[in-house]
Amino acid sequence: MSFAEYAKRNSLGIAGIAVLVAGAAIAAVAMDLPFWEIVTIGFVERSLQAATPIALTAIGGLYAEKSGVFNIGVEGFMIFGAATAATMMWIISGGSPGQSDVWLAILASVLVSLVFAVLFAVLLIRYEADQIVAGLALWFIGLGFGPFMAVLVWESRNSPSLESINDLTVPVLADIPVLGPIFFDTSPLVMVTAVLAVAAWKFLNDTKYGYWIQAAGENPEALDTAGIDVTRVRYAAVIFSGVMAGLGGAVLLAQAGSFTGTGETMVGGRGWIGIVAYLFGNYNPIGAAVAALVFGGLDMLQIQLQTVGINVPNRLVNLFPYAGVILVLTVWGSTQTPSAVGEPYESEE
Amino acid sequence: MTAKETPPAVRMEGITKRFGDVVANDDVDFTLEKGSIHALLGENGSGKTTLMSVLYGLYEKNAGTVHIDGEPKTFESPRDAMDAGVGMIHQHFQLVETMTVLQNIILGHEPSDNGFVDTATARWDIEDICSRYDFHVDEFLDTKIRDLDLGARQRVEIVKSLYRGADILILDEPTAVLTPQEISDLLDLMGELADAGHSLIFITHKLGEALGAADEITVLRDGAAIGTVDAAETSETELARMMVGREIQFDRPPRESPEGDAVLDVEQLHARGSRGLEQVSGVDLTVQEGEILGVAGVQGNGQTELVEALTGLRDVESGSVRLNGEEITDTNRRQRIDAGIAYIPEDRTTEGLVQDYTLVRNALLGNQTVDPFVDNGLIDWETVHDHAGDIIREYDVQPPNERSEAKSLSGGNQQKFIVGREIEHDPDVMIASHPTRGVDIGSIEFIHDRLLELREAGMAILVVSSKLDEIRKLSDRIVVMYEGEFAGAVDPVETTEEELGMLMAGHDAGTDDGDSEPSGGVHS
Amino acid sequence: MLRASVVERLAIATASTALALLIGVTIVAAAGYDPVQFLVSLINGAVGGESAIARTLRFSTLFILTGVAVAVAFRAGVFNIGVQGQFVVGGIATVMSIIWTAPLLPEGTVGGAGLILIGFVAGTFAGGVYGALPGALKAYADANVIITTIMLNFIATGVVGWLVQNPFRGEGNAAPNTERIPEYVSFPSVVFDSSGFSVIGLAIALATVAVIYVVMERSRFGYDMVTSGYQESAATYSGVSAKRTVVLTMTLSGMVAGIAGAVFAVMIQGYYTDPSGIGTYGFDAIAVSLLAANNPLGIVPAGLLFGGLESAGSHIGIYTDVPVQLIDGVIGLVILFVAVPELFRMAAVRTGLGGDR
Repeated sequence: MSFAEYAKRNSLGIAGIAVLVAGAAIAAVAMDLPFWEIVTIGFVERSLQAATPIALTAIGGLYAEKSGVFNIGVEGFMIFGAATAATMMWIISGGSPGQSDVWLAILASVLVSLVFAVLFAVLLIRYEADQIVAGLALWFIGLGFGPFMAVLVWESRNSPSLESINDLTVPVLADIPVLGPIFFDTSPLVMVTAVLAVAAWKFLNDTKYGYWIQAAGENPEALDTAGIDVTRVRYAAVIFSGVMAGLGGAVLLAQAGSFTGTGETMVGGRGWIGIVAYLFGNYNPIGAAVAALVFGGLDMLQIQLQTVGINVPNRLVNLFPYAGVILVLTVWGSTQTPSAVGEPYESEE
Repeated sequence: MTAKETPPAVRMEGITKRFGDVVANDDVDFTLEKGSIHALLGENGSGKTTLMSVLYGLYEKNAGTVHIDGEPKTFESPRDAMDAGVGMIHQHFQLVETMTVLQNIILGHEPSDNGFVDTATARWDIEDICSRYDFHVDEFLDTKIRDLDLGARQRVEIVKSLYRGADILILDEPTAVLTPQEISDLLDLMGELADAGHSLIFITHKLGEALGAADEITVLRDGAAIGTVDAAETSETELARMMVGREIQFDRPPRESPEGDAVLDVEQLHARGSRGLEQVSGVDLTVQEGEILGVAGVQGNGQTELVEALTGLRDVESGSVRLNGEEITDTNRRQRIDAGIAYIPEDRTTEGLVQDYTLVRNALLGNQTVDPFVDNGLIDWETVHDHAGDIIREYDVQPPNERSEAKSLSGGNQQKFIVGREIEHDPDVMIASHPTRGVDIGSIEFIHDRLLELREAGMAILVVSSKLDEIRKLSDRIVVMYEGEFAGAVDPVETTEEELGMLMAGHDAGTDDGDSEPSGGVHS
Repeated sequence: MLRASVVERLAIATASTALALLIGVTIVAAAGYDPVQFLVSLINGAVGGESAIARTLRFSTLFILTGVAVAVAFRAGVFNIGVQGQFVVGGIATVMSIIWTAPLLPEGTVGGAGLILIGFVAGTFAGGVYGALPGALKAYADANVIITTIMLNFIATGVVGWLVQNPFRGEGNAAPNTERIPEYVSFPSVVFDSSGFSVIGLAIALATVAVIYVVMERSRFGYDMVTSGYQESAATYSGVSAKRTVVLTMTLSGMVAGIAGAVFAVMIQGYYTDPSGIGTYGFDAIAVSLLAANNPLGIVPAGLLFGGLESAGSHIGIYTDVPVQLIDGVIGLVILFVAVPELFRMAAVRTGLGGDR
């Protein structure tokens, strides 16, 4: 899909974001806000970091749904991802983690997520689990066992301070004004995510596997009669979504540098926002990443506003993505959702 | 035919396929010669699609053998069939609506270039196929399927099969959803494909198309092959006789009073189909007390939409519907039930019965506002239970058990239950859409007798059917529906199959139709 | 058929719970705790003594009500995942309506009863409206109910969370809570001398089950609704308007969730607080309903089971050194297995225990 076509099909989402930005700008001018004190390079950097875990989760969830399986368990996968990354970092390093331990922890967390994702995919696809209930269950399991792991290791739901990932400075490129510090003097995880988003988009639209995923969610019978095993395609997509959400959780932890297991845990609904992000992005990986950035920016904006002495009701501003999705669905209807989502597919014997 | 030199493309012998107790194919032989078009002709439910699904590896046969190009084959899946060069174009297109034409054609067989789909090669190959025949698919390779009309989708399906290397093409009712122009184009194309050496099987229930397009015609009836004839040496009449099984007897008693009061009166009715296209374009009709008006026509000419517009299931675009002189055009389905319109629906499994409900619960379907069953919003299940029992007894529903679930009944018994329920509703007008489709002979007779009795009792009845014998047996007057309009009205006793056939094909009776007959390019 | 399916449901419920507990016990043992002691405290926490039973029934009351709310919608083929939000909205409406109207009514038992009535009416109404909203969006804008209801859960939690922090916060409250409702606005304990549980609450839940059962099984509206759920085309054929049914179903479902919210507010909490911390009754309810095959009568045993587990969780959290999070996880596992009846069916076929497929 070309960008022009994407823009055309998503005129509403893009218009919505444009209105939001314009509204913010007008408000800033009208209220005589110190705009450049709010929108700083640091703010953009932090927004990108906040967006990273959401974007990773969104890309995974999007693949699952494109293939016809609604994985609403991504929040649970993120919690597991964060909790395993934290405990692994602690165990691998023997209690005093360094930079390499952060990377190893992310890797270990991805592997553990892979195991869980395979089990979850078997339940969803082989045993035709109710996708909604199983997904919610996974969230609860995460909310229970995530902090439980922390309690086992640290006898507290929260970890002590571990190690967080260092910024990576790309020589030369980092010296470019404005863009340099944002993209080339930042967390390498931000860079990885940006590359992943583009790659996921390219993969979905320009490889045969991408074709198969789209066909599996839209008309599995057509894919089946073309001789491709729908079940295998869905397995791959669901497992990928679990791994990506697990990675999202691990990345969240690597940025935060410690695990928080109280309340809704440190993940705190980011998995759900991931789902919202790909709905906003209209099932396009790049669109989902952009939506994640908007949501991340919204989150960080509140802090920025506080630094210049403006208090906004966090709780209400954080609801914007959810209300936005309802608005978008109402105006768009549900036509963008792949037609076969949620229906188990059984090939003729 | 020179069968000894080249083995036939397909030879099926003694094919038997059972679904539970129902025999869908009974010891069927079928041979497709290379480079020819072979029509498989039969009524709905005669076993055509089942036979082809066996060939295509969708169903496992209970007995018989299949030879492709002289080699014995057993296909376990469509994939096997495709690998052997057999392609099937289903009635419901196997296309992904959100993907482009190009993507659909190459799905599952994508040429690859460094891991990415090599669209340039694919495009070149498709254009090559298209250029060999008169295809016009290549112009919109980047269009999404959902933006194409049905004729174009069909061509995409055919190109898809050719792209995958199919030599033998099975087309299942390919003309059902097409416009006359598209049909004529398709039949031309089929001729070209056969000339180029492909072998085609053409499933249809339309006599004219089979005659026009095919070299040979095999007629199926009730799961058995009645015979194979050379298209050049047969006639519509002979084919019709083979399909229906006997010359239809018209030994009904003559009508007492053909002129009753108009019960249902429809003027200039217009309605749109699900795709937003106008399907009913200005229909006028009147059904009188004590008569059966038969609406004949080939499926898909607006009958479904007409019936839905009359029963309140579809919005009327313009025009008027009056019941006993009262305007009901803008009333909804429930109001029309209450006003006295009973309806035997086209599809008993999805509409007429809730499959997982018992017959008791099904007896209430459509009767939710009827007094003895529901009072003040509360259901009196005992009365409903007794009512179900009455229907079962009086309409000979087997097994006679109110507690059986609808899905456990055979088609005939399901249909008898629906007929009973709708008649017992004590309506002013009965609308019966394909009342005996897919039903056993005994039940057909039973249902016909009941409808005729009902007419004698003074009911106004509208019967829609694509079975000519049914229409002729039941109707006092026949109208033929073609492209959303009534093409003509004929007398059921005086008319002939030929006349009806011509009206159903859109020709006015009596006009010369020689030059507008779809030309298959094979026979003249 | 119905009998077989009841037996099958029971078998699946037992198997899900047993398998989840088995995994839980394995984890307990692997983590170095005493699994036997864990199991004993589990049983003690659910049914060991009067206070445990009262606590179990307290949770069960909520699970039964929210479970029925889910069952109403699922039976009609409408996937209302928004019971949690409707429960929250109903709860805050109950609390605030009582607080606002309390000065207008006399204190004491009569005033208390009047205020409870007002609170329940307000809660039911608010829950119904909050349910009707996604129903209307589905009917008139074809917006996917699953997604809109999930979103409305977050919106309910967020907005109510903000309300109790700001305009509705009780004077002088350090915590983000509303004022307490007056002392005399409460259910009498009757049987159990336990704070937070009254047989009256349970009676309301059981009465709701009965009413919903009658509506679903004996009323024309219920027949229309259930028929839509089974086979929408047949319902349309019989004169049921699909759009109207979706809206009405969601309204009814939301109303029951609102009643659950009112019971929670009056019987358990006595004030309202940030909903992110009040428990996930509306989500667990989906599993409760599923376990009961969406049959209102089946909701009662399923609700008792979940109440027992939740209660055991509280007990274990207080009286043992096993982290309470474990029991949350085990409940999650029960829900997970409940979602996969096919797993047990296939297992039963394999082991020859029954289940012919």
